[in-house]
Amino acid sequence: MAGIVIDRVTKRFGTVTAVRDLTLDIHDREFVTLLGPSGCGKTTLLRLIAGFMTPDAGEIRVGAIPLSTPAGVVPPERRGMGMVFQNYAVWPHKTVYQNVAFGLEVRRVSKADARARVAKVLESVNLAGLEARYPSELSGGQQQRVALARSLVVEPGILLLDEPLSNLDAKLRERMRWELKDLQRRTGITFVYVTHDQSEALALSDRIAVMHAGEVMQFAAPREVYRRPANRTVADFMGLVNLLSGRVVRAAGDASLVALGGGQPLTLAVPPGIAESQAVQVAIRPESLTLRVLTAAAAADTAEALVGKVADVTFLGNITDCHVTLDDGTRVRVQVDARQDLDVGQRVTLRFDRDTASVFTG
Amino acid sequence: MPRVEALLLAACVVALALLVVLPLTFLLWGSMSAEGRPTLEHFREALTSRLYVQALRNSLVLGTWTALLSVVIGVPLAWAVSRTNVPGKRFIHLTAVVSYVTPPYLTAIAFVNLFSPNAGIVNRFLRDVAGAPALTFNVFSMSGLVLVTVLHTFPFVYLLASTALTSVDASMEESAQILGASRWRTALAVTAPLVAPAILSGALIAFVNAIALFGSQAIIGLPGRVFTLPTRIYALFDYPPQYGLASAMSLLFVGITVAALYLQRRYLARRSYVTLAGKSNRPQLVDLGAARHAVFAFGAMVFVIAVLAPYVTLLAVSLSKSWGLQFWQNLTLQHYRFVLFEYDVTRRAMWNSLLLASAAATLTVLIGSLVGWLDLRTSLRGRKLLDYASLIPLGLPGIVVAVALIQFWLRMPVPIYGTLLIILLAYTGRYVPLGVRSANSAFRQIDASLEETARITGAGWFRTFRSVTLPLARPGLFAGWLLVFVPAVQELSASILLFSSESITLAVAVYNLYETGSLEPVAALSIVTMLIITGAILLATRLGGGKPTTTVAG
Ligand SMILES: Nc1ncnc2c1ncn2[C@@H]1O[C@H](COP(=O)(O)OP(=O)(O)OP(=O)(O)O)[C@@H](O)[C@H]1O
Ligand SMILES: [Mg+2]
Repeated sequence: MAGIVIDRVTKRFGTVTAVRDLTLDIHDREFVTLLGPSGCGKTTLLRLIAGFMTPDAGEIRVGAIPLSTPAGVVPPERRGMGMVFQNYAVWPHKTVYQNVAFGLEVRRVSKADARARVAKVLESVNLAGLEARYPSELSGGQQQRVALARSLVVEPGILLLDEPLSNLDAKLRERMRWELKDLQRRTGITFVYVTHDQSEALALSDRIAVMHAGEVMQFAAPREVYRRPANRTVADFMGLVNLLSGRVVRAAGDASLVALGGGQPLTLAVPPGIAESQAVQVAIRPESLTLRVLTAAAAADTAEALVGKVADVTFLGNITDCHVTLDDGTRVRVQVDARQDLDVGQRVTLRFDRDTASVFTG
Repeated sequence: MPRVEALLLAACVVALALLVVLPLTFLLWGSMSAEGRPTLEHFREALTSRLYVQALRNSLVLGTWTALLSVVIGVPLAWAVSRTNVPGKRFIHLTAVVSYVTPPYLTAIAFVNLFSPNAGIVNRFLRDVAGAPALTFNVFSMSGLVLVTVLHTFPFVYLLASTALTSVDASMEESAQILGASRWRTALAVTAPLVAPAILSGALIAFVNAIALFGSQAIIGLPGRVFTLPTRIYALFDYPPQYGLASAMSLLFVGITVAALYLQRRYLARRSYVTLAGKSNRPQLVDLGAARHAVFAFGAMVFVIAVLAPYVTLLAVSLSKSWGLQFWQNLTLQHYRFVLFEYDVTRRAMWNSLLLASAAATLTVLIGSLVGWLDLRTSLRGRKLLDYASLIPLGLPGIVVAVALIQFWLRMPVPIYGTLLIILLAYTGRYVPLGVRSANSAFRQIDASLEETARITGAGWFRTFRSVTLPLARPGLFAGWLLVFVPAVQELSASILLFSSESITLAVAVYNLYETGSLEPVAALSIVTMLIITGAILLATRLGGGKPTTTVAG
């Protein structure tokens, strides 16, 4: 069992609290991503799990065994975890083979056995044949694979990865992403993966822990985090989003009415605890909006819709990016089918499914 | 503006020819000719005669031991300061800096006062008071020479090693740890190989510097009959001077130095591990626990031996009527009165040294600026060659520079031998690499577009250089100036062959006074010298508006 329980852990550096009373329950064989903006404490949390740091409060357990408490930590070398760093940290003075075999040497695996295992793991990361090369003779992607192989060869129950792909170019990143996911499925290792790239997190994770200022804002599956962000911060961080200011006209759970964008109130699901005439923020993603041109014939058809004028149209090839100014002046971004022709100044309606919008207290 | 560039190029070529290339050519010719005819006789003698072979061997032994001990002292200190929670890091760092700045001939004189076989106060105490003659230490020996020299050279290793240790990315070590390696295993398998090139390189620089120091080798080596290359070459200028043999010995000397520097370059270039761009994390400091105090004690011991003992000794000797076990019973200022007011050499030497050092520092920075500017901002052919030529003196020990200049100028119709000018040429030639390097890195940090902007707004080349380039490069150039001034104001190895009673320098004055055998006035003059050097550095720093540079010249 290699589940990780992080139990109300706090870590401070002087006056900065990098991790604040944080609780996270990571399951065995799960691919969990720590996602958040720079400085939110992702690396600190990862290093706490690895045992490079002592928590100021709380406890970290793996399979019910406490590894880190403020009273003491099991040192990294006795945790049997693997770790991959952003800058690869491949040892420049060792060949690929020596890099990968190091962990086995430490574990006193016999030479012949080690050779077989290194060969196998190099095969699995597509590095077979490069054993004798030095890191300086490898590309960035290959170095990252060496770092991966080095961690995998000792068959850790848990692999910690700190922005492992951020130094690679876009194309390679895409490919490595896929390889990592595949690797995790095949090996069944618990992955804790740090990134500040939301698309990476969405593509890879079983669950995403969205962090902000040392706290976990939401811990859920990618679809859930994307579609039902727990708060504004999460919504804002997970891709493009329109945040519209509104006011509750009628508070009635799923059938509440919210005044938005200067038009007729819309029917929306409002979280409990929100009272009538309270100001709220409604988050709607650009791709969730359906745009229709208001023709003279359909002039009256504005029920349950936002009404505005096209302000700007940018053709992007596969889609068209369009800005609409609502009647109260709010600008909304909409992504529409590229085949739909639009002109600036046209009056349009915007509609969306109720469950694609999230309402937060404003 | 190719005309300006061509003009500058010509100026640089002439300067480097006069300072470096021509003297070296004459040195080469001198070593391979006798009475105008080519011969290999000088080399044969240098390589077969026992006298000279022994000097060669002694120099190698001295250099090797010094390099080794520099590592033994420098690496633990570097590790302690950069990787542990040892107390007093600034103190340890300052110890290294002061050890480097202290002229080795002063350390040598101080240690003679402590450990000369008969008069050395420690030896006297051990023999006469403690009754332990077996414990006495004769400083006039290879061990004594190594001891004194290493106090000056360990900072090279210290500095390079601590830079390397702080720049190893923490993740390199953490990767090993998380794979199950203990601290020790990590240190041996990862850290050591990564910093080894820097340590080795420091050791080689220590080696090169150690064998070139004339002062300590004369003061300690000659009485102990430990002859080395500089002292043998020096002796060859006793009447009648043997220029040919001296030139051949000089070239052998250069050979050793260049070989060591070549190795150093190769190690640094081939095995320097560039850390990848991106976020790099500083290593966590090792908590030494109770051992902190032991490690600090090691640093304190180095301070006592390298800094405290020499200065306190010199001060005590200079204040005592006659140096001995009961010296404090008869304190006097008479030696200071003597060296400051009665010994007229002092004042002349002081002005000469200050003048020479300032002039040499200014000239080297000027030449360095021109060479650097041509290298970085133009595409003139041959500019790289200029750059290389300006680095040649790195491989030339001071005394060799002097021999080469003598060979050259004695054959020229211009009689400058025995004047301040020839010493200025020696200093400028010796230290021109420091000027070039400083200027190069100073200019490198200024984006060319800043200069181009000035040009576009209508400023001429000279105007641009004066009002844009120079002010921007000023801090870097000033650091270079100081980097030359500090060793130049205390220079001995070249001055010793070039001075006359009119052009005597501070270091030569100290050495000459020491030769006359009067220990107390020498100590007073040494203290005065140190005060002048320190005062000049502080003044220059204030005028330059920068912080005192603690860079160790490579
Ligand atoms: N060793 C340290 N000493 C002092 N402060 C630190 C240290 N390490 C991290 N911090 C601070 O703790 C906070 C969290 O840092 P952390 O490195 O965990 O952020 P991160 O989420 O990994 O950011 P990034 O995406 O930039 O890597 C930051 O404010 C940082 O400045
Ligand atoms: Mg980070």
